[in-house]
Amino acid sequence: MRYRSLIGSCARVAAFMAALVLTLASAQAFDESKYPDLKGQWDRTTAPRWADAKSAPLTAEYRAIFEENVKDQAAGGQGTDPTFTCLAPGMPRVMNAYEPFEIVVTPRTTHFLMDHIHDSRRIFTDGRDWPKEIQPNFSGYSIGKWIDEDGDGRYDVLEVETRGLRGPRSYDSTGLPFHADNETVINERIYLDKADKNTLYDEITVKDHALTRPWTVTKKYVRKSTKPVWHESVCAENNPHVVIADEPYMLSADGFLMPAKKDQAPPDLKYFPQSRK
Amino acid sequence: MLSRSGFGSLLFAAAIAVSCVGAQAHDESKYPDWNGQWRRPPGVNNQWDPTKPRGQEGAPLTPEFQAIFEANLKDQELGGQGTDPTYTCIPDGMPRAMNVIFPMEMIILPNTTYIHIEYLQMFRRIYTDGRKFPEDTDTSFMGYSIGKWVDTDGDGRFDELQVETRFLKSPRAFDSSGIPLHPDGQTIVHERFYQDKDKPDVLHDEVTTIDHALTRPWTVTKHYNRVRNPIWVEAICSENNDHIKLGNETYMRSADGLLMPAKKGQRPPDLKYFNVQDATK
Repeated sequence: MRYRSLIGSCARVAAFMAALVLTLASAQAFDESKYPDLKGQWDRTTAPRWADAKSAPLTAEYRAIFEENVKDQAAGGQGTDPTFTCLAPGMPRVMNAYEPFEIVVTPRTTHFLMDHIHDSRRIFTDGRDWPKEIQPNFSGYSIGKWIDEDGDGRYDVLEVETRGLRGPRSYDSTGLPFHADNETVINERIYLDKADKNTLYDEITVKDHALTRPWTVTKKYVRKSTKPVWHESVCAENNPHVVIADEPYMLSADGFLMPAKKDQAPPDLKYFPQSRK
Repeated sequence: MLSRSGFGSLLFAAAIAVSCVGAQAHDESKYPDWNGQWRRPPGVNNQWDPTKPRGQEGAPLTPEFQAIFEANLKDQELGGQGTDPTYTCIPDGMPRAMNVIFPMEMIILPNTTYIHIEYLQMFRRIYTDGRKFPEDTDTSFMGYSIGKWVDTDGDGRFDELQVETRFLKSPRAFDSSGIPLHPDGQTIVHERFYQDKDKPDVLHDEVTTIDHALTRPWTVTKHYNRVRNPIWVEAICSENNDHIKLGNETYMRSADGLLMPAKKGQRPPDLKYFNVQDATK
């Protein structure tokens, strides 16, 4: 009995030590095996459009705004698409993934790094609550939660809610508008395809006062490379669009101001003491 | 003997278990804690050398680039932008990005350290996976950076990140005073990031720039203060940018949105592509 007791004690001590060492290790380590492998370079699989504009459940008021925007764009204007001046696309539009992106997972934050205009996102996964006041951002304030849906001990879905948005924003370059009150709330479920770990989905549900109901669209991305080459994309570098007194103009190839619309009047030059003749 | 053998087996099992965790884990304890938000210190603006006033930093420029710099200062005095290219909201690029006009976050992972600077959404990838520089790659404003973690005091924990950056594109300046870099794209930037030994909420970046506009490598040390529970605020350069570039001329946008001169006596832009005689009438 004494011998068995001794063995049992030793086993308990050893097990305790093993558990202690494991606990210490995990306290100082970020256990990547608990998270899905999202490393590499992700790219969109379609043109950077949100969805078929006809399917957008816009209120009558915002459907009219959208139709007016379509007419303006047909005439050479920009309508309700605000990003032609290199303004940040904001959420959820950045998830159109205009350029390839990287997902950097850390225990406290998941970062979406996108080279385009100002498209990167921080998704806080540290268990924080919503702040009482949020300074509005184009990318909003995002809180995420990792979920182990199939109970295999490894997270497989990142659920995200984004609030605190500012405008102007549209879903894509067609100018599909958001409500001007910027009370948009966006819920996302981000997960890898179960059969193809090089395919990523983002199921995005938008709640916005310009919509008659929550609108869900699922974006699909493919992993292009696990050893990617990253190219810088700088919207402002060669942007031919110029806005003067809320009127859009273009820059010609030789650097002169030119009309964006047929018969567009030139900008008022009243602040110049002499006219150019 | 049996009991000792059993005890040893259990310890061995524990060691294996720990090894398994280690193999799949990023051991944060090996790296310095640089979490949080890093800001330039109070009183430091956007000058490259924080110990000297902007425009009087004594850059070791070659005579050719000193002349370019002085002509730039005259142009800036007249209302122009001189050789400071960022008024159109292009990124600062390296090394200027390390002026950290808006706050910076550092994300340390085993293969890459990411530096995310809010202004103009500049982010840097510093590869620490042991790779070598590619023979050829696209140039970019932020460049291609390779880093190496160093344990300078031998305590088993890295305390310094050494970085080399190449493949930079132009135009770039060191700061808004327009101190120019050579447009040949040959700039090489060396950095040593390290935490202050006495003040863990102070980070230093010793930056040495090697460039053909300089007569010698130019070393400047930047300092950043940590905010541990930060609020991140977007800074969108193009949102309220008052500068308009038309051809090679820069103009300003007035409070009522109209085009106005940036310099005294500046002529209006040529409106030859518009179907009018005179837009001022």
